Amino acid sequence: MADPVHFHLDCGVEVAVLELPHRRAIASEIRMLTGVVDEPADKLGLAHLVEQTLDKGTDKFDGRQLQDAFDEIGTGAHTWCGKQACGFTSLCLPEYYDRSMELHAAFLRTPTFPQESCDVAVELARQELLTLEDDAQGLADKFMGKQSMGPLLGRHSAGEVETLSGTTRNDFVEFWRSNYGAGRMQICVAGPVTADQVKSAVERHFAGFGESSQTHREPLPVEFSPVTTHHEKETEQEHIIIALRSVPKTDNDYAAARLLLGVLSGGMSARLFTEIREKQGLVYWVGGWQECPRGAGLMYFGASTTPERCQKTYDTLLSELDRVQKDVTEEEIERARTGIEVRTDIRGDVTRALCGELADDLTHYGKPVPLKDKLAKLRAIKVADIQRFCEQYVHQAPRSVVTLGPAALSS
Amino acid sequence: MTDQFTCHKLSNGLDVTVEYMPGVKSVAAGFLVQTGARDETPDLAGVSHFLEHMCFKGTPNRNAAQINIDFDRIGGNPNAFTSHDRTFYHGVTRAADLAGQLDILADMMRSIIPPDEFDMEKNVVLEEIAMSNDRIEHVAFDLIIEEVFKNHSLGWPVLGYDRTVKALTRDQMHNYFQSRYNPQNMRLVVAGSVDPAVVFEEAERVCGKWSAGEKRPDRVKPKLQTGVATKTMDRFNQQVVAITFEGPAASDPLHDTAEAAASILGGANSRFYWNIEQAGLAPYAGAYRLDFGDCGLFILMAQCDPQNTDRVIDALRTEATQFAAGPISEKEIQRVKNKRRTSLAVEGESPYHRLTQVMDDVDYRGQPRTVEDRIDAVNRIDAASIKTLFESFPVEGEGLLVSVGPLEASAA
Repeated sequence: MADPVHFHLDCGVEVAVLELPHRRAIASEIRMLTGVVDEPADKLGLAHLVEQTLDKGTDKFDGRQLQDAFDEIGTGAHTWCGKQACGFTSLCLPEYYDRSMELHAAFLRTPTFPQESCDVAVELARQELLTLEDDAQGLADKFMGKQSMGPLLGRHSAGEVETLSGTTRNDFVEFWRSNYGAGRMQICVAGPVTADQVKSAVERHFAGFGESSQTHREPLPVEFSPVTTHHEKETEQEHIIIALRSVPKTDNDYAAARLLLGVLSGGMSARLFTEIREKQGLVYWVGGWQECPRGAGLMYFGASTTPERCQKTYDTLLSELDRVQKDVTEEEIERARTGIEVRTDIRGDVTRALCGELADDLTHYGKPVPLKDKLAKLRAIKVADIQRFCEQYVHQAPRSVVTLGPAALSS
Repeated sequence: MTDQFTCHKLSNGLDVTVEYMPGVKSVAAGFLVQTGARDETPDLAGVSHFLEHMCFKGTPNRNAAQINIDFDRIGGNPNAFTSHDRTFYHGVTRAADLAGQLDILADMMRSIIPPDEFDMEKNVVLEEIAMSNDRIEHVAFDLIIEEVFKNHSLGWPVLGYDRTVKALTRDQMHNYFQSRYNPQNMRLVVAGSVDPAVVFEEAERVCGKWSAGEKRPDRVKPKLQTGVATKTMDRFNQQVVAITFEGPAASDPLHDTAEAAASILGGANSRFYWNIEQAGLAPYAGAYRLDFGDCGLFILMAQCDPQNTDRVIDALRTEATQFAAGPISEKEIQRVKNKRRTSLAVEGESPYHRLTQVMDDVDYRGQPRTVEDRIDAVNRIDAASIKTLFESFPVEGEGLLVSVGPLEASAA
């Protein structure tokens, strides 16, 4: 596999292309570097509303015509709204790549935000908040987001009932005008396409789109609250989430953080699964994961269990987080490393996964990072590195805890 | 079928199917056991799924910890699922580690169902049931199945009931296991850049000594029920409504047409999307197929604010009726076909996706299909085949209406 080609165009768009001539389809991801952090405090949910409404009408198409045009070329196009970026992903056959970019440019550059579509977006967002209320795990994640990242990075894309109700079409238009433009665009493409073809298409479709100066690539502060909160809800299971500060992807200790998560939660033999589910039968689900806003990192550990097993589950989670520093072994680290390497190979067979990884690289490193460099960092990690990481970030480190369910923890 | 596939029957009758995928790094392998919730007796409801858990708990050669460690040493990514009519154990790893992967998976298929692990794992399954009960869409799905297949073994939930799982004994499970986990009811499927001859040799090594066993009892085709079923659960904020009709079985030649019809009616850029979601009635509205070897369902489903329930039910019925009555434009059909062709091309890259597709083909249709075979089937869909579909499986009339959420039964 060739290395990705990375370049900045005069129009302001940053581009990375992974040429894979033998693949059947092209995966593309456009990241617009704006998200919930750019919302006015009294308009929470606006970034998601805009992302959902961009494709409901342009200067040449109404919403249905635009969707039909994507379907005519068999392009599966999806959108998402994150903290610092909104994503526009697509999969298409090679012969339709240029048309797919043209259609993306149409709704990113010339959205008309029809009044009716804006009203529907607000109404559906209100109803999506009802759906979130019925999703106990999702709700616990929402509370933990605020608690572990603070009022800015901890915002939820769904917004709040009170801020949605006051959002008008003018707010949509203003948000788009202020935050969408070529200087905030990163485009990653993987598949049977050349860098020259991508360059030509991007220049043709995005030159002159808003500001060309490249901005919004700076980290934002994480405001971590080391507190425990309980959110009462009538459910059969109690949901527990523990958050710890960690390191950003660019940090030298990031490889140690990844492998620590692997030891605790990476595979079937990982410690949390073994000690909490396999040996004690306390849970069906237990796991660990990380979130890395640009320039920051957090680790999370969670479990769901019925209330009578909740305290024991929580106590075991904490004791495992403490124990790992004392007795982690080289063999466990090797298993965690193997798991990451094999999953990397599996993702390597999937074009859209490679495209997504490329987009993440631009977000966090500002450039594509060769796979061999990432793997070399993992291979260099020893027991002492994990122990040192635990000493700094896990053992007796400040913890933020959220529980959601019928009863609070007793201690 | 092309020589992209190689099929072989071991001396004990176990069928092995290999898809050769040049150029990929990973290999996916799985044992399909053709037994599931519909093959249980009422007192054993949930045994197939609980057994799936127990197969990870101990074999003649490995205890639970050794199974997990051996998988992780090769990055085996093991998993399993149980449905109403099958149980599937699978893993994805590097092509070079296929032999190790098959060795562990095959070992699990000879589970000893360790007695000392049984009660512990029962707690895990009960937690899984509790987790499912907290999800309104799971509650609604279980109610659909329970009512539409009333008095038939397809009607109970795959996870079983709290009471049946609690009452289940290790001996009951062991008897069930011995009657089903044999080459008569099993298939091995492998997809990746591997030499089929090597796979057959490995399969013979790890499965060749299994005794042939007996075929699972024949299944009885259910008669579908209609009517209204409601469940009031005021701890939820939204209402889930679903209208269920009979659809083609997985083995029916119309199943690809039904998939396209569901997409036109209730997929992305569909009639439901524009006329229900984008009318602001419900954030989620879709049309789904659920199929088995001998029967199938066509389900219209939405999640909405309870105050919109009546309007959403009316809209689901109206859209389905108008769609079935036609005419359906060629453009509308072509758009769905175009999207499906792209997604099939993408799915064709991944050994894991191909494993699940080949498993499905082998189980329900008797032989595997290439990506090109699947695309050909999509290309054959037209207005006439959709007309035939709805003549055979109408989506008008009563159907089964299910409503779950905070509304009182009389209002729901």
